[in-house]
Amino acid sequence: MGKTALVNENPVIDIHGLCKSYKKKLAVDAVALTVKRGEIYGLIGPDGAGKSSLMKAIAGVLSFEQGSLTVFDVNIDSEAAAEKVKGRLGFMPQGLGLNLYGDLSVEENIDFFAQLRQVSPQQLSERKEKLLTMTRLDKFRDRPMKNLSGGMKQKLGLVCTLIHNPELVILDEPTTGVDPVSRRDFWAILAELLREQGTTALVSTAYMDEAARFHRLSLMYNGQVLADGEPDAICEQAHGCMVELTVESQPEALGKLKPHYPQLEAIGPKVRVFVDNLALDEAVSVVSGHLDGLQINSIKAFDAELEDAFIALLRQGPLAPKTGKDDSIPRFDKPLPDDKAIAIEAKQLCKDFDQFRSVDKISFKVKQGEIFGLLGANGAGKTTAIKMLTGILPPSDGEGQVAGADMRNAAQAIKERIGYMSQAFSLYLDLTVIENIHLYASIYGVSRSILKQRLDWVIQIAGLAEVTAQLAGSLPMGVRQRLALGCALVHQPGVLFLDEPTSGVDPIGRRHFWEILMHLASVEQVAILVTTHYMSEAEHCDHLALMYAGRVIADDTPGNMIQALQDEAGQLLNITTDQPLQALALLEKSDFKGVALFGQHIHLLAQDRDGAEKKIRALLDKESIKLLNLSADAPSLEDVFVYRVLALENQEPG
Amino acid sequence: MNQHGFILWWDRLVAMTIKELKQLIRDPVLLLIISYFFTVDVYMAGSGINLNLRNASVMVIDHDHSAASRELIYRFRQPYFDFKGEIFDTKTAESLLDQGRILAVLDIPENFQRHLLQGQTVAVQFQVDSANTVLGTLATSYATEITAGFSQDFAAKRLGPDSGQRASLPVIQNRYRVLYNPNQIDGWFMSISELLTVTTMLAMMLPAAAAVREKERGTIEQLAVSPLSSLQILLPKVISMGLVILLGVGVSLFLIIIPIFDLPVKGSLGLFFTVTGLYVFTASGIGLFVATISRSLAQVTMLVILLMMPILLLSGAWTPPEAMPQVMRWAMKISPLYYFNEMSYAILLKGAGLTILWDSLLGLALLGAVFFNFGVWRFRRQFG
Repeated sequence: MGKTALVNENPVIDIHGLCKSYKKKLAVDAVALTVKRGEIYGLIGPDGAGKSSLMKAIAGVLSFEQGSLTVFDVNIDSEAAAEKVKGRLGFMPQGLGLNLYGDLSVEENIDFFAQLRQVSPQQLSERKEKLLTMTRLDKFRDRPMKNLSGGMKQKLGLVCTLIHNPELVILDEPTTGVDPVSRRDFWAILAELLREQGTTALVSTAYMDEAARFHRLSLMYNGQVLADGEPDAICEQAHGCMVELTVESQPEALGKLKPHYPQLEAIGPKVRVFVDNLALDEAVSVVSGHLDGLQINSIKAFDAELEDAFIALLRQGPLAPKTGKDDSIPRFDKPLPDDKAIAIEAKQLCKDFDQFRSVDKISFKVKQGEIFGLLGANGAGKTTAIKMLTGILPPSDGEGQVAGADMRNAAQAIKERIGYMSQAFSLYLDLTVIENIHLYASIYGVSRSILKQRLDWVIQIAGLAEVTAQLAGSLPMGVRQRLALGCALVHQPGVLFLDEPTSGVDPIGRRHFWEILMHLASVEQVAILVTTHYMSEAEHCDHLALMYAGRVIADDTPGNMIQALQDEAGQLLNITTDQPLQALALLEKSDFKGVALFGQHIHLLAQDRDGAEKKIRALLDKESIKLLNLSADAPSLEDVFVYRVLALENQEPG
Repeated sequence: MNQHGFILWWDRLVAMTIKELKQLIRDPVLLLIISYFFTVDVYMAGSGINLNLRNASVMVIDHDHSAASRELIYRFRQPYFDFKGEIFDTKTAESLLDQGRILAVLDIPENFQRHLLQGQTVAVQFQVDSANTVLGTLATSYATEITAGFSQDFAAKRLGPDSGQRASLPVIQNRYRVLYNPNQIDGWFMSISELLTVTTMLAMMLPAAAAVREKERGTIEQLAVSPLSSLQILLPKVISMGLVILLGVGVSLFLIIIPIFDLPVKGSLGLFFTVTGLYVFTASGIGLFVATISRSLAQVTMLVILLMMPILLLSGAWTPPEAMPQVMRWAMKISPLYYFNEMSYAILLKGAGLTILWDSLLGLALLGAVFFNFGVWRFRRQFG
């Protein structure tokens, strides 16, 4: 791939054989890494892969045992050396707003960081205005930080990190727990800074679909670098390709493919499988062969995207994690609910807090066996809606029923019939796995005669057999979330509410988690209502509702939602140029919709592909930017989300 | 509630109580703090704090240097006073008082003995550092007693041993009969008082901490959507922490107060522990209220400290109700420690039983019911 003008050969960060251990645990294991000036460099990997330790070492706030680390040509071998470069870099640690002060206002926070960095008053006011405008935080400058939404907190964090104009910014998971619109905003700001100041950025993320935003990246696992390079090159390192198909009987197809393909996944009506070591057309015929006799409705092969490639690399490499011996998920020992029955129904539900209407006349239905996704930005009213449906919060108006009980007067019955899992950390970390399950079994009144049997069942369904005696606090996030799910399932509920169950969980953990959910829905007819910020997860849902400012603004299947956007705004054009930053500025000023930078590429939406191509070419030619490639694709769910929400945001004054 | 319902209710209560105890056992720092309060802290209070005048340093400016002045000085001796020597001018005396090096200065004028022998009234000056009013008052009154004794003896001596008039000299002798604590051992009062204070603080703090920890970690949400009622969530915290506190009181009583300070327990220990249990329940109600208005453990701690002050002031431990202004005396009636104090001393030192204490017990029970219900009600409003 061609180099952009801004990326020159002078490395900003140069690392060889870096090791860092905590007591006996090796957190960073012989990592090598080079970041060039003007790059956005990504560190991608699951929780505990060593990303944070590595970033802290580079920021000069963590000592390390072995290896060499050079930042701005200064060899960081002592605290004094680290001090020398600290003024030239900005570091934002992990956690929403953790480095900020909750009781100080937006402006006070910025001023404080500027004073720390000894920014002159004149420069401060200049930069502050610019950054506040850019982040659209200028309207909220007097608001205390703690009252900002998650996305706004992250933007403020970025402003505070950037206030002294650092040449290098190190951002540790800046987008975790942030909704797609704010996430896009965040990336746009970063891209703009890059363009204007030539800043270099080192960013870590747990969202694989953000990988395309990076110029280059390192995939990390267990303290080691699994692969590095440009995103496309990494995908190629995983030998093989993806095959996606739809068949008449999905469970049967899954059964037939399972013995042959370890990396197999059902997404809505589709089945996706990673085929090792085969080219595209070969893969299609081999997979079709394994399905012998099943009616195949559609089948196609394509190159793996990063998430699939990451899992394939892990699987193929020497670092392969242990897989559970018995992957089969056990069945409920309860009679199945009728799959046509309505499990959750909301009719014109409203919730007012003082003057503020948090949820505004929402209506939807979820049938038994359906996975229903509730999407929306932070503060759109999702959690409030769930709280009303689960009987914690009485609605101000409207009605609804859950698991056959009226939510207005049978809250107790609802609580007994549903399972609920809140956002991360809802477990007792100082109790062991089995103690946690036992506690919830007692709370939900699982009778003593079947207790033992039920505990075994939960352990098996959540895949916890190897960790039963460990404290919940010592488990990685992915396993913790499965434990939380197990606890929510201990009374075998017919309806399950999951509020951002996978926030902060790595791709492998998320995949395992969703396998369990898909099984519960399709085999046990459990109705599942789930909220998530991961749009790739939203595609697993049978039905989606998109919330904005307390209202449901779209309610359909994922496929229909994408189709509707395509009908309305057109296809997604993926544009590659030799000067992406300049091209971005140009296209943003034009009347194209949804213009955004993805690493070296630019995305936008256009109705008429050929017409658009002509127009783009003309625009770029004027500035003598070369159009290297232009391809069209269906928009993703994230595009749907961002498009719908931005359309509404722009309508509203203020 | 039918039988099945009751078994379910009971099982949930037991499961939650066991959970709380397990969490406590796995928190070594908290365990250490609790053990410290019930052992070292109670011991220090019982042995270290002294309400009598002990070894108060006193110096003398003796302008007379006579047999009489020596005789008077000699009477300022241990255990009450500690004679530190002689100084020669008032300036030095004042500066020593200012620096806090000595507590009092006795100034004996010239011709002290001569005037006494002449039958004249002589004034001596006693300067006392009364920054600490308790010590100051004690020192003054002891000094008054000493000089009065001296002057009486001197007068008697002057009249002569065989003057025959001595018998007719009118003298009132004080005969004390000290009840309940015949040797007036401060350790008894102080260690029990500290034990009650510690119990109060922990009874508010521990359940509140357990509740707010669930808030901090977000587990409260998980419990709120479970079929548990607010009472079923809160009661186990009170029960488990109450058990721990009762255990602590037992340890404190049987390993520290009784063996070390030789406290003779006069009344029924069963009654004492029952009263303590009821008191813990009452104080935990206040603690639960604190938990509902706090967001973090730090806030709980600050609020408990804030509440401890008036509770202690109004407990009657330091000032009897009769000595308080009327408003404060009313306020004491809603301070649970007032009842607990009264009953504890009455049971442990005086051997009082229910016939005497029933009204205090009733008062405490009523307060407990009000506080606990208020705590649960606040919690329910928050987490429905």
